[in-house]
Amino acid sequence: MSDENLPWVVKFQPKLIKDLADNIEALNELKLWLKKWEHGIPEKKAAFLIGPPGVGKTVSVHILANEMNFDVLEINASDYRTRTRMEELIGRAATQNITIFGKRRLILFDEMEGISGREDLGGIAAINDIIKETHSPIVLIATSLTEENEEKFRPLGEKSIIIEYHSIPTLNVYSKLAEIAKEAKIEISPEVLEALAIHSQGDLRSVINDFETIAFGRETVSFEDVKNLESRDRKEFTPIIIRNLFAARTLLEAKKAINQAYIGYEELFDWIYENIPLIVDDPGELIEALEALSQADIFDRRAKMFNYRLQKYMYNDMTAGVALSQSKSHGTDLTKQVQIIVSKLGYSTNIFSSNETINGLTVKPTRYLGDSWRSVNDAFRLLGAVWIRGGGAWLIPYIRPPQLKWRYIRTFTSRKKMQSVSAKVAAKLHISKSETVKEVIPLMHIMFRNKENAASISEWLGLEEEESDWLHG
Amino acid sequence: MWAEKYRPKVLDEMVNQTEIVSRMKNFVKDRNLPHLLLVGPAGVGKTTSILCLARDLYGSGYQNYILELNASDERGIDVIREKVKNFARTAAIASVVPFKILILDEADSLTTAAQHALRRTMEIYTRTCRFCLIGNYSENIIDPIQSRCSIFRYSPLSEEDVKKHLAMIAEKEKVRLVPEGLNAVFDSSNGDLRKAINLLQAAAATQGEVDDIAIYSVLGKVSPQRVRDMITLGIKGNFIEAREILRSLLIDEGLAADDIIRMIYSELMRMNMPEKWKVHISDAVGEVDFRLTQGARPEIQLSTLLAKLALASE
Repeated sequence: MSDENLPWVVKFQPKLIKDLADNIEALNELKLWLKKWEHGIPEKKAAFLIGPPGVGKTVSVHILANEMNFDVLEINASDYRTRTRMEELIGRAATQNITIFGKRRLILFDEMEGISGREDLGGIAAINDIIKETHSPIVLIATSLTEENEEKFRPLGEKSIIIEYHSIPTLNVYSKLAEIAKEAKIEISPEVLEALAIHSQGDLRSVINDFETIAFGRETVSFEDVKNLESRDRKEFTPIIIRNLFAARTLLEAKKAINQAYIGYEELFDWIYENIPLIVDDPGELIEALEALSQADIFDRRAKMFNYRLQKYMYNDMTAGVALSQSKSHGTDLTKQVQIIVSKLGYSTNIFSSNETINGLTVKPTRYLGDSWRSVNDAFRLLGAVWIRGGGAWLIPYIRPPQLKWRYIRTFTSRKKMQSVSAKVAAKLHISKSETVKEVIPLMHIMFRNKENAASISEWLGLEEEESDWLHG
Repeated sequence: MWAEKYRPKVLDEMVNQTEIVSRMKNFVKDRNLPHLLLVGPAGVGKTTSILCLARDLYGSGYQNYILELNASDERGIDVIREKVKNFARTAAIASVVPFKILILDEADSLTTAAQHALRRTMEIYTRTCRFCLIGNYSENIIDPIQSRCSIFRYSPLSEEDVKKHLAMIAEKEKVRLVPEGLNAVFDSSNGDLRKAINLLQAAAATQGEVDDIAIYSVLGKVSPQRVRDMITLGIKGNFIEAREILRSLLIDEGLAADDIIRMIYSELMRMNMPEKWKVHISDAVGEVDFRLTQGARPEIQLSTLLAKLALASE
């Protein structure tokens, strides 16, 4: 089959470590453990990889096996039937650690959550025995443990090193999708790509499938396409998690709210931070909520520097500390915020009509806005608004995705230019780069409004054309 | 840019810091140089004088014999040591002077530990390399380094000298700089000549005549004014917009978090409020500054500070 016809999840599957979107720490842990096998049989003969789907568990095993010259014998859900079937399959593979081609062997049990108690009778016990006897490394893979299968896997867990994989941060999903779009020559705006990345909920494989589905046979993908995607609701969608969190009234409720989350705590942190001022509108309570989050931030550093035990205090602060700060706050009053923005732009409020929906507030212009659409759009975007093209209205969600990282992405090229320009200026003016950024660059933007000035300064500094354009504009 | 175009090239062209310049001329005459520590406020001629000295000492190819580093731009003392090592390893060939000069700007921003490491490096390479350390305050330089250097203290430039220099540049560049404009440049640059010249050039780029209004409209575009706007919004309790400015400073303009907190601090201390309040605010700013040194997330910590400013309006 030619490369063209392969499904994207195969075609764009990571082949080298550098292709992986995330979970590098997990990969390193696995690598260290596999290295031990070069010097004999380590104490723990199995590694148990646990994490949500589509985050690179299986592929990381294959990449490492390839790099470290292991031959992988893979057992999937379809093979877990009975003890007899399993023994048949593995045979003596476990006790002979070299294949007939002289390669070392690695035995991989994938999709372990597929082992159901009754049907795959004895399956767990068989794996347990194989671990006892093996001369080859055994890797077990399962998606996040539920209470039910935790009990089931306990005997295996005790014999294994546990390696946790987490969902891929939205930002990394975004970058991967951008790479794919480029390679597949699909035209997609950063906003739509962002929506798609958020939709992924950290499951890279599923979102690549989704992307392929909506891009099939076309050259452009629009916002509507993404909106129409069915949500795989294995767990709660992040905006809902955040709403639940802010609605919590006890420590336990607050902590439970984020347990449902599909994204890691670092990303949750950004979501909570983004939405605090939109929900906690009482000034005193706003301070309290932000102070709690700041404390959580400090505990996060302490946990990383000293002991992970300290992480529980971070969780308390970032969930209950924030949620319970509210008593007088009214939650989101988007209608009022929109009114303020509209009158600030110099319009009377009656040229927009607004409507509360489940997802947020829709705001519709009642007359043609012409050229001023752009400035209104820019102002509404501060509230997280998106323009719904078919509907001719903005949707302002009650919960806003974090802006910080997107802002980094959007300003990427401009910041690159700033760095290269300030390095040149700093050298010529004999001052530091930070001094240049702070004191000189803002003034140079003004100097460059004058054409002659701009030309002579650019020549003197040896600026590229795009660098002077950046200063000019 | 004018700041560079009108920078003195040789020691004879320097009109200020006469005492220091005459001692530097003696070094040139003797073709010898101790390690130097130049301290004083920004924009009064520290870097200019050492560059003039180097040109007088080595002639037009002086750039081959000096290495300029900025402590705040280099990532850690190890990087600096490595660069010094490579630079100082080779003697100054084809020169009548047997040593090179390493200029380390913002040396006072190095930690004490880094300065001790630097001191050893200075000793190792003394035969082939002289160190010229530059900083704002000598208190922040450890004693063992101070005792190995000749310390030159630069005095602030007089109002008359700054204005004379600016008027000279305006004349040569054919800019109509009216007295109100000249006063405004001087008042807003705190005796920092480089800043004053940059300000003048920016104001002159947009208008034929530079008056006080032209100067203040340029100043409105630079970071300190935006920090002021951010603080005002914070005090008024408009946190969401204050946070937008914070983001644009941190991300779009690429300012470092500790630069922002430094500006916040100096703006707040300059504001009109009960003295007791200043102590409280200093305490709050200090706590955030400390947390930043511990590696906390800058935006969240600075945001919390902005929200707290609303308390000051009550």
